[in-house]
Amino acid sequence: MTVPTRPHPLVDRTTPNLLEETFDYDLPPLIKFEPHPVVELIDGRPVEFDFNSVKTRDIVVTDTTFRDGQQARPPYTIEQMVKIYDLLARLGGPRGVIRQTEFFLYTKNDRETLDQCRALGHRYPECTGWIRAVKGDFRLVREAGLQETGMLTSSSDYHIFQKLKFKSRQECIDSYCEVVDAAFEAGVRPRCHLEDLTRADIDGFVLPFVDRLMRMSEQVPEELSVKIRLCDTMGFGLHYPHVELPRSIPKLIYKLNRECGVPGSRLEWHGHNDFHRVHANGATAWLYGCDACNTTLFGFGERTGNPPLEGAIMEYIALKGDLCGIDTTVITELAEYMRTIGLPIADNYPFVGKKFNTTSAGIHAGGLRQDERIYNIFDTARLLNRPPRVSLTDKTGADGVALWVNEFFGLKGDDRISKIKVHKLARWVMDQYEVEHRLTSISDEELEQKTRELMPELWERYRSPVGAGR
Amino acid sequence: MPTVEDRVRQVTARVLQIDPARIRLKSSFTTDLGAESVQSVELVASFEEEFGIEMNEDEALAVETVGSAVDYITKVCAQQGVAV
Repeated sequence: MTVPTRPHPLVDRTTPNLLEETFDYDLPPLIKFEPHPVVELIDGRPVEFDFNSVKTRDIVVTDTTFRDGQQARPPYTIEQMVKIYDLLARLGGPRGVIRQTEFFLYTKNDRETLDQCRALGHRYPECTGWIRAVKGDFRLVREAGLQETGMLTSSSDYHIFQKLKFKSRQECIDSYCEVVDAAFEAGVRPRCHLEDLTRADIDGFVLPFVDRLMRMSEQVPEELSVKIRLCDTMGFGLHYPHVELPRSIPKLIYKLNRECGVPGSRLEWHGHNDFHRVHANGATAWLYGCDACNTTLFGFGERTGNPPLEGAIMEYIALKGDLCGIDTTVITELAEYMRTIGLPIADNYPFVGKKFNTTSAGIHAGGLRQDERIYNIFDTARLLNRPPRVSLTDKTGADGVALWVNEFFGLKGDDRISKIKVHKLARWVMDQYEVEHRLTSISDEELEQKTRELMPELWERYRSPVGAGR
Repeated sequence: MPTVEDRVRQVTARVLQIDPARIRLKSSFTTDLGAESVQSVELVASFEEEFGIEMNEDEALAVETVGSAVDYITKVCAQQGVAV
């Protein structure tokens, strides 16, 4: 048995301590770090990382909904992409929290989409391209008038030898660097996508390659210097301390940032969700010095997808402690739009699922009715235009019915009615299960009809329903 | 004229659909008389209707026994000027 070593006396109070410095209901819960550096042992030496620096660093979200996101679904139409781009611009706000988004450049439709998006006149997200590591592809970038393009520079031997069939690593690096030179000549900033980085030989290939890229960058103006995208292509990256390379995200960023000298502003993390780590890995990259986290809307991307953009946005606010010009309500608009064009979003999906803040447990509904903060993650009405809701079943009880009625009629403060006043509706709900042996939850439409029938006075008084999700 | 106690027994028997003879002043609405969650709410609503009063939700739902309900309703009637 473990022997206690420190007493923990009760700090008695008669008023609640709601820890509002962290759980400010107007924002996602803040992520606060103690004022000490995090230490990771790298090559046997302690290395310090200052997580608090994220408050002042220009960390950003980048988007690949139109590239990686489109690899997971039938192509979007031009109209759909322009609409999504417009919404992304509103979501990210004037400070460009959503800093860039990338486009394919291969078809007439790709180029037409890019033109129409740029014609909207938004400063952010900046439009960048995505091409293969082929010199001829720079013609496309030049013709599109883009300043920056991503290019595949696969980094693991799985890709170098098994997929791309290079005869040696030297031949591979020479080939990649020829394309980087072509980018410089075209006046386009290359963003080298180190594909399969978390399965690569870091010391034997990746660092020598990046060293060479840094030497090449010294010969060109700063705005053309190479950016590096750290691609966790198979989702193998790990955020825990003391993980070995190549899977350690802290060590990968340290090596590129402090050994190769790539500034954080030129590092970008691109993850995949094959092991359910995608969001935490992206946020970890921010903390360890990589300024950009590459994402897709609702996480849709190749196979299991990428860091969800909306999750990164919430993380950003939580780290910064401020909305920073972000309009979070656009997340809800984007979800509604994506549903209309056939993108499935699970009901329990965070922030945008139809039931993400809906409870059907009576005890939770009771808590919500007394103080919505008890069971709501933040002010979802303010930040997402989605007030907390209840789904009525046999488990919901009179508390849930009262909450539903109050939300349905939009009643606030002293106008909110007690569960005593909804007893007839609560009885009808219970009888649905106890007498009628119903097995499904009760729809809003049924409740609306029954409210009108069983509580006609209330209906007359508040007949303009403004309830959530209506 | 029926007393407060008589009227509380009648309402309780009707809402819980039990024999009035089972109801004692010390009977607990939940453990002895079997009132479930929604029935507790229905009881409070029915008492309000029977006596023409408005009860505080939390106070009313905190009442555990029939005898306590008689006392509480008598007090509320007096506060709200309702003759019983």
